[in-house]
Amino acid sequence: MRAMARALRGLAPFVVLVAAWALVTRVGLVPPLFLPPPMDVARVAWELARDGSLWVNIAASLGRVLLGIVASVPLAVGLGVVVGLNRRLAPVVEPIVGFFNALSGIAWLPLAITWFGLGWTSVTFIMFNTIFFLVFFNTLVGVRAVPRIFEHAVRTLGGSRRHIIFQVLIPGALPSIVTGIRMSIGFGWRALIAAEMIATSTGLGFLIYNAANFHQSDTILVGIVTIGLLWLATDRLVLQPLERRTIERWGLVSSSAP
Amino acid sequence: MTTRWEIVVTWAVVLGGTLAAWSLAAATLPLPDYYLPPPSAVLAALVDLTAKGILPTYVFESLRRIVLATLIGLVVGVPTGLLLGMSRGVTAFFYPLLNFFQSVSGIAWLPLMLVWFGFGEQTILIAVNYTVLFPVIFNAMLGVRSVPPLYTNALRTLGAPRWRIVRDVIVPGALPSIATGIRLGLAYGWRALIAAEMLVGAHGIGFMIFNAQNFHQTARIMLGMGIIGVLWVILDYFLLRPLEEATIARWGLVQR
Repeated sequence: MRAMARALRGLAPFVVLVAAWALVTRVGLVPPLFLPPPMDVARVAWELARDGSLWVNIAASLGRVLLGIVASVPLAVGLGVVVGLNRRLAPVVEPIVGFFNALSGIAWLPLAITWFGLGWTSVTFIMFNTIFFLVFFNTLVGVRAVPRIFEHAVRTLGGSRRHIIFQVLIPGALPSIVTGIRMSIGFGWRALIAAEMIATSTGLGFLIYNAANFHQSDTILVGIVTIGLLWLATDRLVLQPLERRTIERWGLVSSSAP
Repeated sequence: MTTRWEIVVTWAVVLGGTLAAWSLAAATLPLPDYYLPPPSAVLAALVDLTAKGILPTYVFESLRRIVLATLIGLVVGVPTGLLLGMSRGVTAFFYPLLNFFQSVSGIAWLPLMLVWFGFGEQTILIAVNYTVLFPVIFNAMLGVRSVPPLYTNALRTLGAPRWRIVRDVIVPGALPSIATGIRLGLAYGWRALIAAEMLVGAHGIGFMIFNAQNFHQTARIMLGMGIIGVLWVILDYFLLRPLEEATIARWGLVQR
């Protein structure tokens, strides 16, 4: 019951927003070519859902995000731990990865197109890049930030190198790693939308960019709302639980939402 | 412990090794030239484009846009967020809305902006400003709400007027969150700018690398990427870090 009430309270602002939107279009303040009324957008959403194209595009976008995560996170975490262990290499690699981090995402697209042509490979490459460097960077920083005293303690107690890695460094770096994953999905998702506009013919980014060519504002709005909802769902269903399991467990986050 | 000297040597080895391996790969790999131009070609592109004045113009264009967005974020976004955060009810109302709009990146609005304003400067500016503005507003608002009521109550008990509470407790208390918002907004905004310049194509560094791709001028692409990275590092070092030092670090929330 209380969850229901909370959900309703969360929905209320959107109801107000849609009502305002309906009013603005009804009065004729904005021509429907620019801002179609909510009902038109809902109808287009229904049509796109019925002929399946909306689901195909959603699946393509989500698939790419998933592929990017699966391909890059394990590699980035592994490499981050290995480099973080090396006290000589780590201070040099950190700014380099930081640089690639600053560069990550859409800036790679022209080079990706040169190398791989238009299509799946280029977009996946962009996703890989965006997620990999952010997670790598955060793992590296996280491992380096684990106080040496814990490592010494385990070693004094007769722990092996394996113990130090799996019992001290990785758990110690976990909050930072999870932050990295969370950020990387945020950045990756944005890079994906932009990359899809340019490099492929499926996905939500393509859907809205292609619609712009035909001045189909209603289709664009369907895409925008879908993108927002998908992100909120990812955040609520995947990222927040992940954070709760790791960061909050170590007492580093106090939930700050009102 | 690693000494300074060792770090310098490692740097030299890593950088020198990368450049050497890159040159070697470019010279020996059986690929067309435009796949992997050697570092020397990138350097030549830098000299060439600087001499022609193209590069400085494009860098200036991109910087102008991001600085403008930053200023608007600071002047409009921060006060708006602070105002919205003042009341619990208002925050509760705007939280889901802002969260939604923050999670739709500016680049997703770009197609709609294209329909509204066409291919031009306006579209780029709106997409970038949108991207910067929402994280700034959202985090400023959350920052105000994160100030423990104990502090405001303490001042109120001592008879402070409302403006003193705002000036001495709420604004300083929200600063770390504001700094986070600005960092996030700029990081997203910078990428949105590059993407918008590619899609809309009105000068700028993003346009440069995208256009170079059409002509297989890969050295120019790599040069542009290097510049994008360097510009962000400069932005980070001269704008974001000082801001964070003045806010987050001062309140003891960052450990270096």
